[in-house]
Amino acid sequence: MTRVGLDIVLVPPRVEASLWRRLRFEREIRCREQLFSRYRNLARGLAVRQLRRRPDNGIELGDMEQFAYEGLLHAIDRYDPVRGVPFGAFARRRILGCIIDGAARLNELDAQYGYRRKMASERLASVADAATGAGDTLAVLTEMVSSMAIGVMLDDTGMIEREDGADHRPSAYESLAWRQLHGKLRSEIERLPEREAMIIRQHYGNGVSFRQVAQLLGVTPGRVSQLHAKALRTLRRRIGE
Amino acid sequence: MTQCPDDEMQQLLGAMQVQTDDAIVLTEKMIDAYPEDARLHFLRGSILAGAGRPIEAHASLSRAVALAPDFALARFQLGFFELTSGEAQRALATWEPLGALPDTAYLRRFAEGLAHLIRNEFVETVLALRSGIDANEENLPLNNDMQLIIDECEGLIGRPSAEADEASATSLLLGQFGPGRTH
Repeated sequence: MTRVGLDIVLVPPRVEASLWRRLRFEREIRCREQLFSRYRNLARGLAVRQLRRRPDNGIELGDMEQFAYEGLLHAIDRYDPVRGVPFGAFARRRILGCIIDGAARLNELDAQYGYRRKMASERLASVADAATGAGDTLAVLTEMVSSMAIGVMLDDTGMIEREDGADHRPSAYESLAWRQLHGKLRSEIERLPEREAMIIRQHYGNGVSFRQVAQLLGVTPGRVSQLHAKALRTLRRRIGE
Repeated sequence: MTQCPDDEMQQLLGAMQVQTDDAIVLTEKMIDAYPEDARLHFLRGSILAGAGRPIEAHASLSRAVALAPDFALARFQLGFFELTSGEAQRALATWEPLGALPDTAYLRRFAEGLAHLIRNEFVETVLALRSGIDANEENLPLNNDMQLIIDECEGLIGRPSAEADEASATSLLLGQFGPGRTH
């Protein structure tokens, strides 16, 4: 994206203040996602540090991240941008509180049922609900499998660069065709309606659960699940074109 | 509409040279006395912008423009504040009425130049900003701000995929704000 001209005059504290102003006083809900994305690394960093400090009891980083994102969302909704306290300092305490509370709540059994499986279940339930109208059992299954296949690809699009900068793509797949397909998928995500693109970006790119995406969007988790299935169907159709 | 008398406005402008906090308190007192004087809201907005209180600054500048839609300097500065906040489309909408000013009006030329900047048209940006600077003899601090942008643009002209360096923050300047004038 080229924003060179505008970049010359941007004043970063004003840019952030503008997001808060539009979210709080002008009810521009999408600013919540932009603020969330801005501070996601802060939440993730705190999750990583907390995980390192704990004994190895099966809790995965993904779980810790979910608690951290929960804290970040609480902080975004409670922050008063006019009081002059920097948001980072305000959010840090709440994020840490949520991580510590969440980890304490998570018993051994829950920990074994780690966040990856929870995410997979959410996705499966989403496409299964959407596929039930497809007709006979085989048609339903075909619909589900092809939607899930797009989900698997999305997991590997590299939509968001990993923070360690490493390339996690399997080298065996580094064929031209695979790269082209990924490129097409990425550009098709940009063409999705704004809310659907946001769900795909946050869920697959940032590992944010449907429940938290729902908070970001101000809708129910069920609605996120529906929009997720719709987005996968659109992507699947366009990739096949 | 009761306007703040010139002598009180001069006193306020004098106070602004000393302490930001004092100036804010004084401005707010005067706004209590003359709530519909757009110049006072513009002053408050400018001080708050300089003091790192951007949300309140935007509210005050917006109030000034709402009270006096023909107050061209306030309108330009509100748009410029929006531009520096990353709200380019909103800035263009704020500046739109400046298009009714004479073609030679420096604020119109500045707004046109910044519109070119948003579209990455750097040559046109430089031409328009420079003509604005030539036409502007009453608000010299604003010329300095525009010159900084010209310097940045000149560094980008001819660089096909240039990455802009972060420009120094161009702050709102009270400049030649004179008593009793709103445009």
